Amino acid sequence: MSDRLLPEAFADLDPWAGDWGLPTERERNSRRLGSTWEQLRSFYDTMLPRAEAALEHLKDFPCSDGPGGAGGLPAPERRLLDLMLMLAEVAPAVEVFGQPAVIGGFDPARFVPDHDVPERHQLRRSRP
Amino acid sequence: MNAIPKQHRWTLEAKELGTGTLSPEPYVSPAYFEQLRDKVYRRTWLCSGRRVDEIPKPGDYLVLELEMFRTSILFIRGKDSAVRGFHNTCMHRGNRLATQATGNCRGGLACGFHGWGYSSDGRLASVPEEDMFFDFDRRRYDLAPVAVELWQGFIFFHLNPHPPESLASHLGELAPMIEGYPFDRLPVRWSYTAELECGWGVLRDSQLEGYHLKYLHRRTVPGTMVNNRDNPSRHVLDVRFFGRHAIGSFYGNRQDHRPAPVEDIATRFGNTLGQTAAHVSDVSRWPAGVNPSRAEDWFFDVCYIFPNFHLVFLGEFLYAAHTMWPVEPGRAVWNARGYLPAPRNAAEQFNREYAKCSVRDLWLEDGSTLEASQRGLASGILKELPLQDQELLIRHAQKCVDEMIAA
Repeated sequence: MSDRLLPEAFADLDPWAGDWGLPTERERNSRRLGSTWEQLRSFYDTMLPRAEAALEHLKDFPCSDGPGGAGGLPAPERRLLDLMLMLAEVAPAVEVFGQPAVIGGFDPARFVPDHDVPERHQLRRSRP
Repeated sequence: MNAIPKQHRWTLEAKELGTGTLSPEPYVSPAYFEQLRDKVYRRTWLCSGRRVDEIPKPGDYLVLELEMFRTSILFIRGKDSAVRGFHNTCMHRGNRLATQATGNCRGGLACGFHGWGYSSDGRLASVPEEDMFFDFDRRRYDLAPVAVELWQGFIFFHLNPHPPESLASHLGELAPMIEGYPFDRLPVRWSYTAELECGWGVLRDSQLEGYHLKYLHRRTVPGTMVNNRDNPSRHVLDVRFFGRHAIGSFYGNRQDHRPAPVEDIATRFGNTLGQTAAHVSDVSRWPAGVNPSRAEDWFFDVCYIFPNFHLVFLGEFLYAAHTMWPVEPGRAVWNARGYLPAPRNAAEQFNREYAKCSVRDLWLEDGSTLEASQRGLASGILKELPLQDQELLIRHAQKCVDEMIAA
């Protein structure tokens, strides 16, 4: 039990969890841009039929504070969420551009995500 | 219901704007840049692009880089909860005081060079080996202040600590048009910063018109959304000017949008770019300046707050904000932020990520034009810039800068 990667109902996605369940936007975007079209398509086609069930599962887990937001999740749910966040990253490539990168786009390495701080987020929000 | 006659031209209504071409000179001239810096940015209220809820507790601070003036500004919440602004510069020998972009200094800030300590209200509170100075009056070396005022939670500042007009006077009639928008319910979710080899003018203009939507964003904003059914070359729903500020409201028949599979799933847990719109919301409750014509086929507004701040309203619970800083001739810094309701659970976090990735990729399309346009202008082959009717916010913004410089 303690060494399963993903929640039990999503064990079929285990093979993706290691390389595609990445915790930061920069890592996910790099994975997207460094993948072939076939790899992206394969990930997308695997995740899409499981996405609704994954969200039904994840909606019972409250977010912790901050843009990173999921520090308090159990490890299997954290990995499942990371896979879903990767699906959000891959979706425009598959659904909009038909290639990994934004067609003719500005260099994403120079469009720096200030919010992308996994351990200690820099953008702060008011607390009640 | 909000049909605009085919022959209508907004530019002709704003007669003082004229219909002539623009000069490329302001976009490339080093002399113009110096005037922009000294007669505009040094003399007007500027939006930091940051919000007070980013520094909620006494001692919380954030630092804004202001390369144009070779300085950085420290915004800090005092023990009395007031937010103040100072040049982030030790008054001993000029060292940078706060070295982190954000933090808390409940006990005050100490310079790393010789340990000069400042309290959170900017007073020089302690000087190591003070008795070794000569005729030393500590009060002369408090931090150098800038004026700070807040509007709707946004931190504005003026480099003149005693500005000739208040922020309320600067914002004028624009302010009541926007007040009431639920800014306090929409925390910042993402923030991107790009250092650009393009001037501030090119950057400013890139977010001031909707003409480019059907072309530059033909992939990220599907044609079904921006093809005006009644009037194919008509993208502007409304334009309002408030002194140097302006609101432009742009067409988008989002009810025709057919979401892609992942977008469709994401939409069940919150807003996305293709959704969250006027056709699903009671627009009559919105502030008068957000979707001012109350159109159902509304996509977004640009609320331009002169000179450096663009609010982009995409719905009742989704907006973006661009802060644009000149750096030097042909260089600028762009900060682009997105604001959405905080996710309550991990499924909503997926929704926010989807919204972020789709908007980010759209901004990467915007970004693709900036440095290329600057190079084109700098090449000198353009003798004039023709603007069509739907680029009139650019015409207006440039006229306001020209007038301040000429004054």
